[in-house]
Formats: sequence, structure tokens, C-alpha cells
Amino acid sequence: MLKKIKRNLKIFLLFSYQSLKNTTQSRQALFLFTLAKILRFVLLFGLIFLIFSKTNNILGWSLKQVIILYLTFNFIDTFSQVLYREVYRFRPLVISGNLDLILIKPYHPFLRVLIGGVDFLDFLLLIPYFFLLLFFILKENILFLSFFWYLILVVNGLIITTAFHIFVLSFGLLTTEVDNAIMIYRDILNLGRFPVEIYQQTISFVLTFIIPIGVMITFPVKSLFNFLSFKNILFAFFIAFFLLSLSIYFWQIGLKKYQSAGG
Amino acid sequence: MINVKNLTKIYKIYRKTGNLINDIFFRKYEDVLALDKVSFTIDDNELVGFIGPNGAGKTTTLKILSGILYPTSGKVSVLGFSPFEKREAFLKQISFVMGQRNQLIWDLPAIDTFLLNKAIYEINDLKFKKNLQKLTTILSAEKLIQKPVKMLSLGERMKMEFIAALLHQPKIVFLDEPTIGLDIFSQEAIRNFIKSYQKEFQATIILTSHYLEDVKRLAKRLIIINKGKILYDGSLVSIFQKFSQVKYVSLILEKEIKKEALLKIGQLINYQFPKAVFRIQKKFLPKVIGYINNKIDYLDLVIEDEKIEEVIKNLLSDHK
Repeated sequence: MLKKIKRNLKIFLLFSYQSLKNTTQSRQALFLFTLAKILRFVLLFGLIFLIFSKTNNILGWSLKQVIILYLTFNFIDTFSQVLYREVYRFRPLVISGNLDLILIKPYHPFLRVLIGGVDFLDFLLLIPYFFLLLFFILKENILFLSFFWYLILVVNGLIITTAFHIFVLSFGLLTTEVDNAIMIYRDILNLGRFPVEIYQQTISFVLTFIIPIGVMITFPVKSLFNFLSFKNILFAFFIAFFLLSLSIYFWQIGLKKYQSAGG
Repeated sequence: MINVKNLTKIYKIYRKTGNLINDIFFRKYEDVLALDKVSFTIDDNELVGFIGPNGAGKTTTLKILSGILYPTSGKVSVLGFSPFEKREAFLKQISFVMGQRNQLIWDLPAIDTFLLNKAIYEINDLKFKKNLQKLTTILSAEKLIQKPVKMLSLGERMKMEFIAALLHQPKIVFLDEPTIGLDIFSQEAIRNFIKSYQKEFQATIILTSHYLEDVKRLAKRLIIINKGKILYDGSLVSIFQKFSQVKYVSLILEKEIKKEALLKIGQLINYQFPKAVFRIQKKFLPKVIGYINNKIDYLDLVIEDEKIEEVIKNLLSDHK
């Protein structure tokens, strides 16, 4: 088992190293993309300050809490983009038939089609997100237990985002359609930049129980400030486990129904 | 080594009606039978050629044998494994080279893909070095492995694909149209390589190709498939005995003879003095040769088999 983990880690690192080599081939693109991402982050941060210059709180959430939520959103979102960038490139693999050659390699295909193309441009952004998040959390009077649950629920959020990406891959196997599916996921995820309570009750319900963006992002922050019951923590674990299992099941179905390109 | 029994594969294909509303809301699918109860066995160290027209089921067979596709029904056992289960121990013993697909990393030199495969297949340093050297030598590709893949010609890229696929010394190699799109020199190089590789590594090779020359030059055994059914499974030699009804007789004449006189011998295919070529039904051959010996003055006589392309073409058209 340990040997297998070690081997998979080695393959993952090799894929990542090659991805880094590819990324650094064009220095101009590297500079421009990084600049665009920093600009996007600064603008959204500015928007939060603008909102709070007009009001003291949003439905009980203070400025600092919203900033932590926003940074948590960015951390989870960016982390998933760093790790799962290859999902965005899945369609060409299916259409060209090159996926066939991945399916017969002696490793789990997720090593290649899910996490085989670490995005180092986004990885650069993870560092300031992490330190900003730490900075704002340390400024608050947070209990160790709350911080512990926060960390666990962030990991839980990452499991949910993993499940969403596997759903997209499975959909790609069945229909060759990936771009729209991933865009729908991203659009819905963007609703998680703010606490789900700010939305209409029905939307808030959907974002918690049906498409659990709230569980991914709002729940960890709520637990940090002791707003989350233990029952809801258990519910978050259940949702993550359920979605991950379902996504893997769909992947298996996708493989069985996969028709490959060109006979 | 490979056991296939009653293998059937049905593809579900979406049929467009041309009516946008119907195509979106009342989509119709049809079943396309790609393989129809196909059975065969392949032993160790065999090189088998799969022949058939487009859509015959050749590539589908190979994809099922390698575990890419899930069979609709039937039994498939390769090296004692059920391919679709994709067991690591199974996948480490096979390889697939497809003429129109690539596993090489486009922007980087081929050596990067080789090193990746070294880790994936857990090839030790010594074996990696030895196999890389052997393969690059057979393919005369020592200098190509450091060049970025995008800078290589199609023929050079194919050589790199072969090295990437064979570094781990697979027991079974599936080759799907490996020479497609290559110029005659590259085709020749690849053919020679396949032959040398099988000899050197004792691998079982299953080859599909549109170029009959590939199969003629490499395979001793031929499986002809059409519309998902096997029409012939046997040696290259016995396909003539079984399905070829004619022989070609070429004569080099001593003196010019009128065409009408030659037509009495049999079906005259070509006549340009001094050479005349006849197409003769096999059953009449002894009689015809006797007649030629008695009536015609010739310098040379050659009897040839029908071209394999023609035998296969006739076989396929009989089963249209």
C-alpha cells in the first residue's frame, strides 16, 4: 500500500514537473496571466470594502467575517484550479482519442486526467491567499477547536469540489461535453463568494442541500465563528462522502459506456 | 495467451433526423453491431495481422483486448486477465501503438515521455538504459530523443511513439495502423523495426493495417474481418489454397503470335510482345500448360499466385 502511494506520488510529481516545464515555455504569457489574476483579486477585494463602506454588516456577517469567507472561497477555488486544471483539457483528449492511451496505463486515470496538470500560475496565487487568510483569522479571537473544525471543513469542501470535477469528467466520457459543464460549475461556485444567507431562501436552500456550495465555503467559516451546529458538521461530511462516492460511480459508468474515437 | 469467445460489441449511435426539435427532445439512437460473436485464440510469440475494410471491427477488437472498451457480451481473456478490469499487472504487460494517436508530450523532447513511462512502468535504471539503447539503435533514432516532439517529422514521431510504447518490454503489443500517413521509407523502417522487435523480445503482436504490404511482410497468420464477423483465420499461405481460384501464367514468346491464337489459351490479361499474361482457373491449369507446351513456342513460362490483395478483395466482396 505504502509502495503504491509512493509510486503514485512519484508519477504525480513527474506530471507536475512537466506541467511546470510547459508553463515556463512562454515567459510573456506567464507574466500576463499572473498580472490578470492579481488584478481580479484586488478588484474583488475592493468591491467588499466598497459594500462595507455603506453598511456595517450583511445579514449578521461583519466585514472581517466576510473577508475570511471571501478568502476561504478563493483558497478552495484556487486550490481546485491548481490541482484539477487538467479537467479543462479533457475534451480534446476524448475527441482526439488520445484518452485511449491513458486508459491503458498502469495507474489510475485520475492521476492524469484529474490531477495530471498542476497549474503553477494559480499556485503562485495560493501563497498570498494562504497568508492573508491566516492573517485575518489570527486577528480574530478564535478557539482552537473552532479552528480545527474550520480546517476539517475546508478539506471537506475540497472533497466536494473533487467530486464535482469527477462528475464533469464522467459527463465528458459520455457526451464529450466538458467546457459547458465546467462553466456551469464555476458559475454556481461563484455564488459562494458571499454567505449563502444573502440569497433568497429557496436559492439558499438549493446552495446548501442540492448543490452544496454553502457546505463547501460558508460552513467552514461558520464553524470558525461558532455559528455551525455539530449536526450540520456531520451533514457536511455526509454530503462530501455521498457526492464523492456518486461521482466515482458515474466515472465507472462512463468508462463502461465510453465508445472511444474512431471505432 | 489471448482467448476470445463469442465477443460482441454494440455501439449506440445517435441518429440525426434533421429536425432540430426532434433531435433535441425526441432523440433517436440506433444500435450498430461492431463485433458479432467473434471467437479466436492467439498464442505466445505470434504476429497476427487483422485485415478488413473501414468499420469492419478491427480497431474495436484491439480496444477490447487492451481494456479500453467494455464488451457488450462474450468472454475475453488476455494473459489470464479480463482486460476491462484494468489490473495493473495486466496493463504493465501490454502496449498499444495507434498510428493516429500520440502519447508523447508535444512541447517537450521525447526523452521526457520516456522518463515518465520509466516511473509509470517501474522500469529499473539498468533495464531502461538497455532497452532505450536497443530500441534507438534498431530505429536509428539516437539523436531524435532530445528534440522537442513538435519539431519531429511524422515518421520520426512514430519512431518515438514506438520507443515510448515498448520501453517496458510488453508481452503483447497492439499495433493499429502503425504506418498510416508515413512515406515509403518510414513505412519500411517501421516494418523492419516490428520484425526485429518481435525476434529480439519474443513479443506477441497483433497488427491492423490498411497497407496489405505491412501484413504480408510481417504476419504469418491472418484474420480477415468484415462487418464484425471473422471471414478467415489462418496462414497467409493457406488463404490461397482456400480462396484463390486462379493462377497467372506469364509467357515470354519466342516469336510474335496473333492475339486471336493466344485467346485460345485462356483469359488474356496483357499482351505486349514478347510478354503475354493469362488468368487461368486453377482447375484448368494442367490442361492449359499441356496445350502451351504442345502449341506455343516460348522462351520462359512463369506461374504465379493471384495477388493477396485480390484474394482478400474477392473474399470481402463475396460477403458484402
